[in-house]
Amino acid sequence: MGKRQPSITTENFTAVQLMELDSCSRCGECVNWCPTYDASGKNPGLAPRDKILRWREFMNKSYGLRARLFGPKEIPLAELEQFKNDVYGCTTCGMCATVCESAINTVELWESMRANLVKSGIGPYGKQGMFLKLIGEYKNPYMADNKDRTNWFPPDIKIEDEAEILYFGGCTAELRQRKLALATARVLNKLGIKFTMLGEDEICCGSALIRTGQYFINDTAKKNAQKNIENIKAKGAKTVLYACAGCYRASLIDWPRLTGQELPFKVVHVTEFLQDLIKKGEIKWEKSINKKVTYHDPCHLGRHVGVFEPPRAVLESIPGIEFVEMERIKENQRCCGAGGGVKAGIPDLALGVASTRVEDALATNADILSSACPFCKRNLSDGRDAIGAKELEVEDVIVLVAEAMGIDLSDTPAE
Amino acid sequence: MEYFAGVSDALRVTFVQMMLLSIIAIGIFIIGMYINLKKWSMGSTGYGQPPSKSIWAFPKMLMYQMSQHAHVHNQSVIETIVLDILFQRRILKRSPLRWFMHFTIFVGWMTLFAMSGAMFFVEMTHMIAERLEFAEVLPWFMDPVIFRQLLSVPNDIFSYILLTGVIIAIFRRLFVAKVRESTIAYDSVLIIGLAVITITGFIADGIRTGRFWGFGIDYQYAPPAALFHVVISLLFCIAYIPFSKYIHIIAIPLALLANKGGE
Ligand code: SF4
Ligand code: SF4
Repeated sequence: MGKRQPSITTENFTAVQLMELDSCSRCGECVNWCPTYDASGKNPGLAPRDKILRWREFMNKSYGLRARLFGPKEIPLAELEQFKNDVYGCTTCGMCATVCESAINTVELWESMRANLVKSGIGPYGKQGMFLKLIGEYKNPYMADNKDRTNWFPPDIKIEDEAEILYFGGCTAELRQRKLALATARVLNKLGIKFTMLGEDEICCGSALIRTGQYFINDTAKKNAQKNIENIKAKGAKTVLYACAGCYRASLIDWPRLTGQELPFKVVHVTEFLQDLIKKGEIKWEKSINKKVTYHDPCHLGRHVGVFEPPRAVLESIPGIEFVEMERIKENQRCCGAGGGVKAGIPDLALGVASTRVEDALATNADILSSACPFCKRNLSDGRDAIGAKELEVEDVIVLVAEAMGIDLSDTPAE
Repeated sequence: MEYFAGVSDALRVTFVQMMLLSIIAIGIFIIGMYINLKKWSMGSTGYGQPPSKSIWAFPKMLMYQMSQHAHVHNQSVIETIVLDILFQRRILKRSPLRWFMHFTIFVGWMTLFAMSGAMFFVEMTHMIAERLEFAEVLPWFMDPVIFRQLLSVPNDIFSYILLTGVIIAIFRRLFVAKVRESTIAYDSVLIIGLAVITITGFIADGIRTGRFWGFGIDYQYAPPAALFHVVISLLFCIAYIPFSKYIHIIAIPLALLANKGGE
């Protein structure tokens, strides 16, 4: 009889990550802050601490002392399936990493667990399995014709063939939350900034594939990142602007990691770009927005990369805005609930998290809940509708900027 | 002469037996760490890379991560060692009480451990010096009796510090509902081991010195009490580390270094 094989592999884990499983002191701090654990009605399986414990046990059953002496212990498939359900109930918001006393890079750990499960045929979760096919076939996860990314722009929008600045619109803003893409383009035009875009040559940044552990299949995410980088280079761009937090993080952190090369251009979020112009006095406000505005930090812009101040500085410089902060902000921000494939895979959970965040905003008596990511806007709007908080407007910072610059966006086409 | 915190000939525990015990403890520790290192090194040496087959994968990946630029906090190794590993500011940021508990256990434990090591070093040096007949050229404090006296006050102080932390830890596990409910055997073993070492240390010391925490037990039991304490300490302090939650003593500093103090 052959020796029993371990039920799990160590595929997609780095050596440091396997060590990190042993460094959890089980302090429980992550459990106190996890938004999906909270929104799930405190489902113990979703608690970050519990996920680490279970995978450590899987490792020990497969490769620990006992396994070395007497052979690995089998982990029933049902247990692995259950683990998959739990590890996908995470928005990769990074709150657990921020509070972790042992400094475990938990988000990367969840993503590695997901990739490992995908490789062994257990992951991904539900509809997320469609991402690969859709992105492979359509170059975006929305099954849209890739030509539709920018061909809907009204004729007044001026996009150069080549320029030093390139606006990477991203699938969600170009194909779904179009007001945001239009606002960005018109703001740049009005500021006299020459910029170019990739148009139909743009490919999904890969965030959806990476966050759900599917990036390695056929090397899709790597190939797409490489193509995007080449296309950006061909446009002569030295600075790439992003108004989507997901694309921003994917470009800044994931593209160099996937391709193994430094990016040949600077990655800048549009709020950083605007903050700079405001400092130089190059933005003329034409209208005031006499409203109370609060700001939700997108996880992938704030906690993941540390861009906290620029969006606030932009909002505070808009005349008329009374800026108020919510309960949990900046590094302690509460996630909107959309990320990590949760919106596509477990929409109810995404909605539950969003509703809690909307309640944070309502507690400030703000008129507008703003953010700097189309995906956050979408989910926060859904959360607002779910709890019937009609009085609260959910809007992106760039749209508010456009409005204050006297730009009309009423001609935004529907999706 | 008494060796190892009062373990004397009266118990017929010879020096050789004591050394053997220490070596066994260290041996178990090394085997355990080897298994752990092998387990960790089954990971890759880069994101998206295939799993490694070399035991060097872990140190390689650790060095690689430490040399990379971090996007959020890109702090220096010195800052990580001083503020995160030694001062444990990440715990302080989250909960001052938990920090106080952990810090007192850490400081008490580490200092007592270091002092035991120093005592061992002095005894060994002195013994060798006596055999080779150059004991008289050793500095005055290298006499085990004097050295033991020198350590006696700090020994008391750090024992109290450790005890304070252990009492808080036990109290939390027993009486704070949230902590109690999430406690599993993995956690209990750590705290029980810690408590047993601390309590046996106090009792052995009490019997030897006649202080009240010796519970008036006769002096003749001082050597076996000390021996019990030493054996338990060697087993928990060294041998059991790789196989239990004690591994966090090694893994947390490594995680802090790898992630530059964390996000
Ligand atoms: S990343 Fe966010 S959602 Fe995921 S386990 Fe951590 S705190 Fe919870
Ligand atoms: S915060 Fe970190 S150390 Fe604490 S239980 Fe969570 S993962 Fe473990």
